[in-house]
Amino acid sequence: MNRFCLLATGLAPLLGATRSFPQAAAIGVCMLVLPLLHQCLLSPLRATLSGARYWLASLLLLAALASCLELALRAWALPLALALGYFPMLICLQCLALDILLPGTGRWRQLLLHLSALLLACLLLGAGRQWLDQVAGMHLANLTPGGLLLLGALLALYNWLRPTLTRRQGKR
Amino acid sequence: MITPIRSTLLLLALGVSAVAVTLAWQHWTRPAIVDAERQLQASQFLAALPAQSYDNHPLDSALPLPADQPLHSKVLAAYRATRGTSPTAIVLVSQVQGYAGPIRLTIAIDAEGRLIGTRVVEQQESPGLGAQIADPQSGWLAQFAKHGLGDHWAIRRDQGDFDQLAGATVTSRAVIEAQQEALRYFDQHRSELLGAPGHE
Repeated sequence: MNRFCLLATGLAPLLGATRSFPQAAAIGVCMLVLPLLHQCLLSPLRATLSGARYWLASLLLLAALASCLELALRAWALPLALALGYFPMLICLQCLALDILLPGTGRWRQLLLHLSALLLACLLLGAGRQWLDQVAGMHLANLTPGGLLLLGALLALYNWLRPTLTRRQGKR
Repeated sequence: MITPIRSTLLLLALGVSAVAVTLAWQHWTRPAIVDAERQLQASQFLAALPAQSYDNHPLDSALPLPADQPLHSKVLAAYRATRGTSPTAIVLVSQVQGYAGPIRLTIAIDAEGRLIGTRVVEQQESPGLGAQIADPQSGWLAQFAKHGLGDHWAIRRDQGDFDQLAGATVTSRAVIEAQQEALRYFDQHRSELLGAPGHE
């Protein structure tokens, strides 16, 4: 499994809800909390349920968690909740994908690594898009395609800064 | 692995508890949500009014709207701000079709029929172009303050008095038209909107 496969599961909220830094921080925290809670509650069930029953249990848990998250956002950060739109709900898909993609051993380490990388990507993207839109006057950054371009640039920068990766790609 | 009956029971218990927790959470957050919605509405609708110009809670009592609507925009709600016993301003919530979608504005008009200020509540205009109407830094909406029905409500290209937003002619025309129609609406229904007798 590719390590970027995990990152791609959170792509929709990562691009759609990072127009400004506060928005990006909020969606990043949501993306941290929801999968963690989902995995926490699912782990005792994994041994006892299997097949369709396991999936049903997973879906029920997700529905309850996502509803509670949306209600909490509306109660304590209504302008933010309106700005985020349906993206907090979309994190459910990420949770479902994560449950399949995570390996059987070293599950928690992978999950934490992935979620913190996603949070960092959210924060960087949010800060970058807000700066480009408001200070540098590049309004493309405010749109989703601009977010995708910036994410590509960030990944390229990451690749360039990591010497192990470039070596593996056969530069030398 | 446990028996199918036990796992079904476990699933059932999980479903019931999930629904119960969600309902309890909803019940618990409802007052906070209602409160937050009211605060958001107040901050959006009354942003155009200076805070010291009224001492009532205008949003608590929406005025009954006269039946006839303006031609291009639609007045959705009207609120009366009073200071002491005399009405100082009327806030109209107006919706007009912009370039990319409906634009919702709150338009504050003083008792003499002059515009106090306009704020954008909702818009879907192009970022960087039409969306600048909602940007307080662009200050485009500020040029309309203190103007009344006697002015030429159009952009300069249409022989009017006002600057347009660069690259957003459709948005500019729509917003100007909505404001003019709101002023005319106020003028036509002045006594109903201001309400209190002795102010005619």
